[in-house]
Amino acid sequence: MALLEVHNLVKAFGGLKANDDVSFAVETGELLGLIGPNGAGKTTLFNCVAGMFPPTSGRIVFAGEDVTALGSHEMARRGLARTFQVYVAGGDLNVLENVMVGCFMHTRSQSQARTRAEGILEDLGLRDLKLNLVNELPVAAQKRVTMATALATSPRLLLLDEVAAGLNPSEIEDIMAGIRHIHSELGITVMLIEHVMELVMNISERVIVLDYGRKIAEGLPQNVARDPQVIKAYLGERYVRERKAL
Amino acid sequence: MEAIKNALDFSDFPKIDRMLALAVFSFLLAFPLFPLSAFAMATMIQFLMFSLYGMGWNTIGGYGGQVDLGKAQYVGIGAYTTTVCLLRWDIPFWVSMPIGACLSIGWSFIIGYPLFKLKGHYFAIATIATSLVLKDLFEVWKFVGAARGLGILPFKYQVPDFTRLIFKEDIYYYYVIFVFFSIGLLYMNWFRQSRLGFQLRAIKDNEEVARSLGINVHWAKIKTYAIATAFVSVVGSFHAVYVKNIEPEDTMSLDLSILIALMAMLGGAGSLWGPIIGAGVLIPLKSYLKEWLGAAAGLVGIDLIIYGLIIMIISAFEPRGLWGIVEKARRRRRI
Amino acid sequence: MDILFGAVASGILLGMVLALVALGLTIIFGLMDIVNFAHGEFLMVGMYTGLLTAQATGMDPLFTLPLAGAIGFLLGVACYGGFVKYLLRGPMIAQLLGTFGLMLLLRNLALLFFGSEDRALHHGLLVGKSFDVGMGIILSATKLAVAALSVLAFCGVWLLMNRTKTGKALTATALNRQGARYMGIPTERMNALAWGIGGSTVTVAGALLVNFWSVNPYVGLIFTMIAFTVVALGGFGSVPGAFFAGLVVGFIMEIPGFWDFFAITFDIGWMADVPMTSFKYTWIYVAYFVIMLISPRGLFGWKQ
Repeated sequence: MALLEVHNLVKAFGGLKANDDVSFAVETGELLGLIGPNGAGKTTLFNCVAGMFPPTSGRIVFAGEDVTALGSHEMARRGLARTFQVYVAGGDLNVLENVMVGCFMHTRSQSQARTRAEGILEDLGLRDLKLNLVNELPVAAQKRVTMATALATSPRLLLLDEVAAGLNPSEIEDIMAGIRHIHSELGITVMLIEHVMELVMNISERVIVLDYGRKIAEGLPQNVARDPQVIKAYLGERYVRERKAL
Repeated sequence: MEAIKNALDFSDFPKIDRMLALAVFSFLLAFPLFPLSAFAMATMIQFLMFSLYGMGWNTIGGYGGQVDLGKAQYVGIGAYTTTVCLLRWDIPFWVSMPIGACLSIGWSFIIGYPLFKLKGHYFAIATIATSLVLKDLFEVWKFVGAARGLGILPFKYQVPDFTRLIFKEDIYYYYVIFVFFSIGLLYMNWFRQSRLGFQLRAIKDNEEVARSLGINVHWAKIKTYAIATAFVSVVGSFHAVYVKNIEPEDTMSLDLSILIALMAMLGGAGSLWGPIIGAGVLIPLKSYLKEWLGAAAGLVGIDLIIYGLIIMIISAFEPRGLWGIVEKARRRRRI
Repeated sequence: MDILFGAVASGILLGMVLALVALGLTIIFGLMDIVNFAHGEFLMVGMYTGLLTAQATGMDPLFTLPLAGAIGFLLGVACYGGFVKYLLRGPMIAQLLGTFGLMLLLRNLALLFFGSEDRALHHGLLVGKSFDVGMGIILSATKLAVAALSVLAFCGVWLLMNRTKTGKALTATALNRQGARYMGIPTERMNALAWGIGGSTVTVAGALLVNFWSVNPYVGLIFTMIAFTVVALGGFGSVPGAFFAGLVVGFIMEIPGFWDFFAITFDIGWMADVPMTSFKYTWIYVAYFVIMLISPRGLFGWKQ
């Protein structure tokens, strides 16, 4: 039984179908990549699965339970955590406190939450930044903080939304190592949206491709990269035609 | 117990803050022992009461970020419960006060559930609406004396009466409210470090992110609202036995609700010391303004004009309140 | 029966004035998301202007409208430029409490200058006269004229908003502030203008209202709440919404009338004993609450 099953998911905003009949499964322990051109509906898919809004139609099954109608906090309590692409923080909580909020999901005790939070920050190399305000940190550190906060809820499935966006090559290396650590050492199933191809293609065990709301390809990274549908989606019809002509 | 340890833990404040707080606390403790006018004593009692009102408001309005302008209705419930219990069934304060708090909390859950589906100004106006509805009801309800209100006649009791909290001298009232004040302060210190306190801060930061961390936002707000209500109701009960004369117009008015919100807002909403600082500035100001200006012939309302101006100036130029100024100055020095 | 028709007629006439009262609030809110707690106080200023001018000059109160409008416009612009502009930079609590401070200021200034007694108009072109429309309904001529003028003012504002360049610029700013800026619309000036228009419509409403409603410094609060309810029902930001919602709220305020009608017609004893008139305003508050829970967007509103 897969950890997450999505069946025929449709999400429409008014007349626009952001997700059109998408189905896939995430097996426990997998590292799954989700790619596609801008506007393909990737974040919308995450939002539906994470419970931020209900799908227009379709079913979402998490750990054998139908969770289609559940909201974000209920999904979090069942073990699904996510990061946010754009995180506008009010600037009240520092890094440690942010992570503690996640820890409070499993404990009422402040000291327990603090200890655990410090452990997570240590794990992700954020110990020195723990008293800084999140919105005062450089982008790379902010991304790691969002990951740490999500991890604090002890998830079974972690959805990462473009955690490498805006990072330079060495920062991308760091975050790749972080994701690998979460996946292999902490044993958490990971699904990630990414535009940075060198990250997602290198790290994913399997990749799904969305274009205009539909799933157009699924499989091993190297196969997906060669799939003509995928190339067409990213580089355009004309490119494919011209290449064929050569 | 960890809770008590947390309540007494002020260690995240710089040393100077703790020294100052201790000094003020000692001053308040010793205050009635100095020779002073009845007026000064009454003002200090008011200060302690409004600090508590402000602290209660601060939970939902400051930490919770939902501006509540309808707290006066709970002052009313607390005050009337205690008064009616005393007048009709001779129930002592220490029983009627918790009863009042329970009634208030009950009511707060009933209206809180729909109320917290709203946010921002819609929420604020709705709190005003519910408070005024309750006030209107009390103004025609004969059981509670309608618009004329109820009065406690102190000579019917053997003073000093510690069970019913009827005293002739203010000093007794002072120490009772001072104990409440201290307990309230320790509770708030615990609150801001508690799970709920953290959850509220996360919600205020970014509600969607808070939800993704497993926080049931709606329920957290309702719980906090109930806490605020309990604070206010307890002080309302005290108000009833202290002033011994209550009517809807002065215990449940919109002006009182605004005043309560103002304590925290002026001092610094969302901070521990904010409501106390706010009360410390506003209550003496209000009392003395009224003394000098209000009663003077033809100058009715000047105290409120000054009041209004203060509110306007603070809102426009320093919305984070006096404590906000302190924090800003500190942050600048750190850099 | 005539009680019923009387209540209905009264409700409609009152409703039109209420719509005008709320109009300013919805324009300001639609433009800049700020709720003006001092709205009722502006109304009070309009009422006093109308009353005092009429008493001082002896002219008919209905002719005081232009003056009231001018004062309202200036008051609105002054409040914006001297105060509200700064509020907008701060958090919500500052905005709410800020206009509340303004309310206290205006209310107590009025108390200082005018004293706390009720004042009413006792003479005027139409004060005290009424038409007998048959079926036992007696329509007060004043209320009729006031209602007619309200509708006129409403149409005037609607025309302004939808048919003039300035009005369209205002609407554009309300819909998309940044976009409006790119179009070269001076948004700061639009803000001030909105407050000016908002201020003048409500002071004119006040000058109209004072023809049949006595004024004292405390009259502002209830009308602020009424205006909020009208705007909530009609939709924050919608001009036509304010009109229809005003009528509905006018009916709500006539509930004691309807209550009496039922009590007497169907001879229900216990109903007659309930002091419904004390609850005249309570229904407004309840209505606000219910409206916000069922349909926060109101009837026509596009802002939530």
